[in-house]
Amino acid sequence: MAGASASAASHSLAPWGHRVSSWLDYTINGLIVGNVYALVAVGLALIFGVSRLINFAQGSIYLVGAYIGWVAVVQLHTPLPLTIIVVAVAAAVVGLIIERFGLRPLQNSVRIAPLLATIGISFVLDQLVMLTFSPNPRALPSQLPDVRFQVGGGTIGPLDLLIAGVGLTSALLLFAFLRYSKLGWAVRATAQDRDAAMQMGVDVNRVNQAVFGIAAALGGVSGMLVGMYYNQIDTAMSLQATLKGVVAEVVGGAGNVPGAVIGSLLLGLVESYGVAVFGTSYRNLFAFLLLVVVLVLRPNGLFASARQAPPEPLTGTFIAPSRPVRIPRWALAVAAGGFAVLPFFPVSFYVLQTLINAWLLGMLALSLTLVAGTIGQVSLGHAALLAIGAYSSALLSLTFSVPVGLAIIGGGLMSAALGTALISPSFRLRGHYVSIATLAIGEIVSLVILNWESVTRGPIGISGIPPLSLFGYDLISPPSIYWFSFAVMVVLALLQARLLTSHLGRSFRAIRDDDVAARAYGLSLNRYKSLAFIFGGFAAGVSGGIAAHLYSYINHETFNTQQSILALTVVILGGLGNVVGAILGSVALVGLPEVFRIAAEYRILIYGIVLLLLVRFRPQGLLGTI
Amino acid sequence: MSNIDRRTLVKGSLAAMMAGAAFSRAAFAQSSEPILLGVSGPLTGPNAQYGMQWKQGFDLALDEIMAAGGINGRKLAYQFEDSQSDPRQSVAIAQKFVSDPRIVMELGDFSSPASMAASPIYQRGGLVQFGFTNSHPDFTKGGDFMWSTSVSQADEQPLLAAYAVKRLGLKKLAVLHLNTDWGRTSRDYFIKAAKEYGAEIAVTEGYIAEERDFRSTLVRVRDASPDGLILISYYSDGALIARQARQVGLKQVICAASSVYSPKFIELGGEAVEDVHLGTRYFPEDPRPEVKKFIAGFKAKYGGQEPDAFNAYSYDAMHMAAAVVKIGGSDRRAIRDAFAKVKDVSSVIFGSATFDVESRRVKGAMNAELVVRKGQFALWDGKPT
Repeated sequence: MAGASASAASHSLAPWGHRVSSWLDYTINGLIVGNVYALVAVGLALIFGVSRLINFAQGSIYLVGAYIGWVAVVQLHTPLPLTIIVVAVAAAVVGLIIERFGLRPLQNSVRIAPLLATIGISFVLDQLVMLTFSPNPRALPSQLPDVRFQVGGGTIGPLDLLIAGVGLTSALLLFAFLRYSKLGWAVRATAQDRDAAMQMGVDVNRVNQAVFGIAAALGGVSGMLVGMYYNQIDTAMSLQATLKGVVAEVVGGAGNVPGAVIGSLLLGLVESYGVAVFGTSYRNLFAFLLLVVVLVLRPNGLFASARQAPPEPLTGTFIAPSRPVRIPRWALAVAAGGFAVLPFFPVSFYVLQTLINAWLLGMLALSLTLVAGTIGQVSLGHAALLAIGAYSSALLSLTFSVPVGLAIIGGGLMSAALGTALISPSFRLRGHYVSIATLAIGEIVSLVILNWESVTRGPIGISGIPPLSLFGYDLISPPSIYWFSFAVMVVLALLQARLLTSHLGRSFRAIRDDDVAARAYGLSLNRYKSLAFIFGGFAAGVSGGIAAHLYSYINHETFNTQQSILALTVVILGGLGNVVGAILGSVALVGLPEVFRIAAEYRILIYGIVLLLLVRFRPQGLLGTI
Repeated sequence: MSNIDRRTLVKGSLAAMMAGAAFSRAAFAQSSEPILLGVSGPLTGPNAQYGMQWKQGFDLALDEIMAAGGINGRKLAYQFEDSQSDPRQSVAIAQKFVSDPRIVMELGDFSSPASMAASPIYQRGGLVQFGFTNSHPDFTKGGDFMWSTSVSQADEQPLLAAYAVKRLGLKKLAVLHLNTDWGRTSRDYFIKAAKEYGAEIAVTEGYIAEERDFRSTLVRVRDASPDGLILISYYSDGALIARQARQVGLKQVICAASSVYSPKFIELGGEAVEDVHLGTRYFPEDPRPEVKKFIAGFKAKYGGQEPDAFNAYSYDAMHMAAAVVKIGGSDRRAIRDAFAKVKDVSSVIFGSATFDVESRRVKGAMNAELVVRKGQFALWDGKPT
């Protein structure tokens, strides 16, 4: 970092030691990248505007578009205009299929079911592309002439202009469509009040179809253009596109199409300036910090108008009540007893290890089902709590020679404290916005771990973490680890079940179901939300701590976004707020991919399809919301 | 309806797990059965491409091993379990392999978190974990059952530094590295060696694996006015950086680590990777017989496709596994001891490989100095670019 200033010393200096002309370059680069983000963000904004749904499958449609583009360009040698049309039509068809078979059946179910469905759809689409085209990256040659125009210290090419053109034109066309066409009115009416629109004779399904078709066409074309831009497409591009698109969209104001474009440009600029000031490895840190700051200061995004209807309903229809499945106590006791004596039977260590993983995930799910299900703060960054617990416990035992048992508790406490402190600024948010804020906080924690080398050892990670031990006895045989993790999980589950039946539990649910009424009744929302996060953070931190001692090595990649998404899937699958459901969901979602091992490369595809079927036929979760 | 679904599903999955366990116990090794190696690696997920490349190398090596009569008359085979490079899955796979008596040793995993999380289980279970891409300096410290043929970065990076500084005459370097345990370790060894050879490090930039846009990074690089760019990258990100560097008008010499060595690097980088220098362990016109055999065999098996670095690692690893199993038989402990006994195993990466018993790694990787000329990897002729 010092190198830049040293070499630039002879030039006129702007703040932080850069040349003035360099700032122009950073600005241009930021806008170029923002341009790329805008293509995804516009599609997301459109869908959110109409169906109040963050479409996690948008990145997958982008991926599909890129590969259809590859087939068109490399195999069929289509000229560029035709390529764009082919990709747009094919992607639109994919979008229509998703809408018709993936989402429409969920129309009248819990609001959170479509969100989960889009996650399942993205698994399926990504896997299909990977199986069809192999995971190797491919070159997607640009079909435009290779001329470069000098701008500032760098150059831009015709593709930059085309991408900017497509982004701006589609935003303008969409804006005009929404404002001046009849179908556009219908779209906006549906967005404002679905039931009223239906009563006025708007064919809501047709509106949804139109929106999904347009958004998917846009997503597909953007995937293709970005693929050409980098001359590279691969199956990992989907999740990144979704993440950046969601950030840009929410910064601009969810559901606001021109806002999404401006949000994207702003995101690109912030990232570019972040690189300029602090270096490349801080880039995403700034993207997610921007998101959190915007959400805290202007929860509806920068460009939400004051007249706009609140982004989420006032009362808690986000998580619909349902009748939970009552499992008699004796059955639970028998099940717990059965699992407790399992190691005495001739089961392989592989089964035990799989169940250990399930118990560890179960603790995380208990934590998430409390904050997401019971108090209604749907977190998408829960793996961060695991990471905090794991690093704290690992460092306590390695650096300060704290006994492992105590270190794990220390990890839990640290996770409770730090997790609650990090999340507290977003307590005023609701519904989807909580999810987005927690997603960002999760990414921030992971990036801080990567960059704070003096404490976390950065990308090298922490190795040689001592194995689990209790009162001086090492727990290294699989049965002993099994019993330990099972016991911890059962204790946490019993505590949580006790909590739910107490007065405190009822207050939590009151806040979830109707926070206005709860506040009117005199409940302090922030205090109760903090309490939930303290308890939940502890459970997740303990899970992370145990994992660290089990693995002996952790780094910033050990607890990643996929883990957060998995935890949320478990919780929704089991039934929000449902303690037994969280555990059942963990066993199912750890067990299923293992059972499908026989299917080799197809197993994640099958897993995705099973997930979709579960959401389709049991949207309130296996055991129902409590 | 849905109730029945749920119950049958849960019961079914548990039953299947039990059945799987019972099956692995029942199917005790018979001598006519092949000798089975377990492989833990990514077949799905973000690193799936590397698992696929492993398979290609394994399969080619197995063909050759079979053609040469197998392992003392017995077949050699592998069971590839998909870990997605996820530590949670790699530990389950480790238990699966450890408790399956047919598995005589394990190969993999790909990423350090996934590999090293599984190490304690392999160590305690007494099953060799042969990590052939595990460059993390602590990997083999996991215990005496951890062995690695991954080229130590302490070996490789000084070679790259010598190429860049001594041979190409670069004096002021910008180092761009993947911000992973591998990239970070490599960077540190590279910088140390480059400074010893008298070069100055103008700027270093670490980027995350998902990064695609390097324009702003390259402005930092430009402002540090280096005379050469060092890429400690894989082929896909290396190609992206080279393209964008040329697009923003950086004309400096680019010198890259051997991990970019792949036909994909040229396919993805196009004209931008022309004249990129790289140190590699082997090259297409390499006169060494083992390399000629590897490249010819690979092209014949995979429809003319050129092998890359990861293909070579896995090809070598399977040959090494065969050599070890020939000495150690099918006893897990004897196999561990055999790693210390194998001598001079023919290897694409090392020429001939012998383990250093102390570090449980192989030293002395081959080195070739290549440059991309007319869209081909060619031995550098000493002419400046």
